[in-house]
Amino acid sequence: MPESYPREHIEDLVDDNLEWNQLHNMMSDFKDADRFQKVRDVLQDRVDWDDPIIIPYADHLYVVAKSDTRWVIKCDCGHEFCEHDENWKTDALINVRDSEEEYLEIYPEDMHPHPEYMELREFFCPGCKTLLEVTNVMPGYPLVHEFEPDIETFYEEWIDEPIPAPEGQSA
Amino acid sequence: MSGYVMASSENNPSEHHNAEILSIDAGGTMTDTFLMDSNGEFTVGKAKTTPNDESRGFIRSSQDALEDWDLSVEEGFPNLVSTVYSGTAMLNRLVERESEVDVGILITGGMEDTPRMGRGRQSYTGYSYSDRLHVNTHKHPDPLIPRNQIRGVRERIDVKGNALVPLYEADVRDGVHDLLDQDVDHIVVMYLHSYKNGEHEQRTQEIAREIIDERGTDTSVMLSSEYYPTLKESERLNTVTAEAFAAEPSRDQLTNIQNSVDEQGGNVGVRVMASHGGTIDIHANELARTLISGPIGGMIGANYFGEQIGYDNLVCTDIGGTSFDMGVIIDNDWQIDYSPEMARLLLSLPMVNMESVGAGTGSYVRVNPTFDKIELGPESAGDQVGVSAVETDVETVTVTDCHVALGWIDPDNFLGGDMPIDRDVAEREIEEQVAEPLGMGVYEAAQGVIDILESKLQNDLEAVVTGEGYAPSNFKCLSYGGGGPVHTAGYTEDLGFDEVLIPEWAAGFSAFGCGAADYEYRYDQTTSIDIDADLSMEEAAATAGEELTTVWKNLEQKVEDEFKNSNIGRSEIDFQYNILGQYQGQLNSIDIESPVSRVDSPEKLERLIDTFEAEYRRTYSEEARSPELGHTVTQASVRGVRDVVKPEIPTEEKQGPAPPEDAFKDTREAYWDGEWMETQVYELHSLQPGNELTGPAVMEGAATTYALPPDCETYLDEHRVHHLRRTE
Repeated sequence: MPESYPREHIEDLVDDNLEWNQLHNMMSDFKDADRFQKVRDVLQDRVDWDDPIIIPYADHLYVVAKSDTRWVIKCDCGHEFCEHDENWKTDALINVRDSEEEYLEIYPEDMHPHPEYMELREFFCPGCKTLLEVTNVMPGYPLVHEFEPDIETFYEEWIDEPIPAPEGQSA
Repeated sequence: MSGYVMASSENNPSEHHNAEILSIDAGGTMTDTFLMDSNGEFTVGKAKTTPNDESRGFIRSSQDALEDWDLSVEEGFPNLVSTVYSGTAMLNRLVERESEVDVGILITGGMEDTPRMGRGRQSYTGYSYSDRLHVNTHKHPDPLIPRNQIRGVRERIDVKGNALVPLYEADVRDGVHDLLDQDVDHIVVMYLHSYKNGEHEQRTQEIAREIIDERGTDTSVMLSSEYYPTLKESERLNTVTAEAFAAEPSRDQLTNIQNSVDEQGGNVGVRVMASHGGTIDIHANELARTLISGPIGGMIGANYFGEQIGYDNLVCTDIGGTSFDMGVIIDNDWQIDYSPEMARLLLSLPMVNMESVGAGTGSYVRVNPTFDKIELGPESAGDQVGVSAVETDVETVTVTDCHVALGWIDPDNFLGGDMPIDRDVAEREIEEQVAEPLGMGVYEAAQGVIDILESKLQNDLEAVVTGEGYAPSNFKCLSYGGGGPVHTAGYTEDLGFDEVLIPEWAAGFSAFGCGAADYEYRYDQTTSIDIDADLSMEEAAATAGEELTTVWKNLEQKVEDEFKNSNIGRSEIDFQYNILGQYQGQLNSIDIESPVSRVDSPEKLERLIDTFEAEYRRTYSEEARSPELGHTVTQASVRGVRDVVKPEIPTEEKQGPAPPEDAFKDTREAYWDGEWMETQVYELHSLQPGNELTGPAVMEGAATTYALPPDCETYLDEHRVHHLRRTE
């Protein structure tokens, strides 16, 4: 087990370009000590903005540091949603499929949920219109807040490193 | 290669040897030879495996072994009476999913994705325990045959063998043309429930052969109902496909090997080790059963050894560089696994049942950074031994390195001195990788590693014996494999076996086992024969009894046909009849060796049922018996055995308890349970029957080291088998 993988290997991991046996070996081994920071580095290099990524939040979404006290959820297109502990979905463009007709646009006949039981909510980025998330819930159900990251605990107690901050402002 | 000797031969080191038994194991890189003469002495040879023409590696490896006895191949081969070959080429085709041949499949319409979907279990079989546990490491293996070489045919046979939907012959024609357009070499036909009724498959074969004739290709057609008529379509299909894809291409290789034996003046048919525990001829119809993964040779050797010496019940333990393998022998028979996994595919082949865990002497030792504790394996350095083997590029400490550091293994005598070992390197690396991170001393840490391994092995062994409901006190534990004897005392402690036995030839025991295998064919067929409780024995014999007898006769014929391929007549074959039986409605069956070969009369059927009842009582207790439910026979099997020459187990005169002077090598300091103690070192192969030793002692052989801790003693019997005992 390497203590650390070469950067190209981590890039392949991020891009899902690893062979199954390579991926399997990585999962079966003890975790390489610098995995998180390496992945963060790769992701940071790929976005066009300079706000330091604190954590990857979901596909296309990150928590980034605007200052050393303010952290927001941001799409890779640059659109900023909300504070890191708020539900970004309330700021997203939402398409709701709750009729037979709308379901049939994407499902084969008789293969979709009953519209009165389940509706499909598709969340898009207002900036780049990328489909970010889909949930399938009962009509009337509140927007699910998937996850509220505990950034201080993660940085201080798990990886024991300073929380990234914009240049000149690091703690 | 260093020839070493199983039987004592104090002053006739290399006079005339009459090489009788040749057993060859062609691995991925090396071809190993085990050669035994008519006095039971043996030697080993090695050569590089030659994948393009395996017969060259075969001859070179034989030559290497024969040279130890100053014989050439031309001199040695004419005296051979038994030659057993086992290779990994077939298994490699499965593992790599690459074959010289293209295979097409005709399958019941609607089932075309069977190979792609496989079974849920296939997503984790063959993985380590933690990878089986975690869903993110599960993945369905690549199918053997791509989807575009699979064609559906509308037809349907139900579970009782009735044709619900007739065979759509036009589908067959389209499918065959389509597959022939893709230049397939074999067409495999697998329809649902064809083990029960093979008519649709047979008709398909007729049609396919007509088309093949018309088009003038030499494609073959293989039916699942003929090759492996057993329940479960995924396993059945995998197995027939493996036959076409992996086994058939080896036929030429095996023929080459036979030819080269013939050319060198040999007068012996080459046989191949098969998963059911016997050897079969290279001309056998069903060659896929020689796809063996795992070390069943040792089990066969143990069973033969038990039969010869009179030990009925044995627990077999085999430690190699990468794995610990365990198997149970009861009343001189092993258990059969009817659905073994190979190359991450479930197959429908009878295979000698063994449990295997990924822990051996080459297992890597690492400190888990999250929990600060020592973890072993599952990866290992295998035959690269460890960091102390300075000529290899191993970087992670292994269990063997710990043995070296503790003084149990002599650095100058590893594999008879063939592999240079540096004790300082072992100590330095253990210090750096294990001891320091944990804040322990080097020797304390090394001892800790051995303790963890041995208690793990002990737990695994307990699960196989006690966990299956057996009492260890009814068993003798047999320990072999190159890495076995150094750990035997540790992993058998407190388990309460009747006796613990270590054959002096532990390192060559698996190869010895291959040489001891019967010449045996075995055929199985799934059945669903009910013997209802309310029938009189006369009625049952006339219905169920007749039906089972017919199945047995068919299987018998198949065995006979296989032997006929090698010009062996029926009179030379010893038949044995087995069933899997259960009470009606149960889920699991038990394996019964039938006392009779026919059950078409009430007396005979009664004897079979009585045997089932006795076996059920032995397995589950008297209270669990439920004959009022009636019985079901779920599988019928026939085994046919023909006598072959087998290795001799040495029997020598006993000497006194004191070892001869020349057996004593040295004394050295070794670390036992927290203490450095002066330890006697003996030459393992120079000890005499009757000798007794008390620990701490180390006995060094050419390919193994037998460690005797302070509270243990050992006694070498007249068969050159060590009996290990605790002194208190």
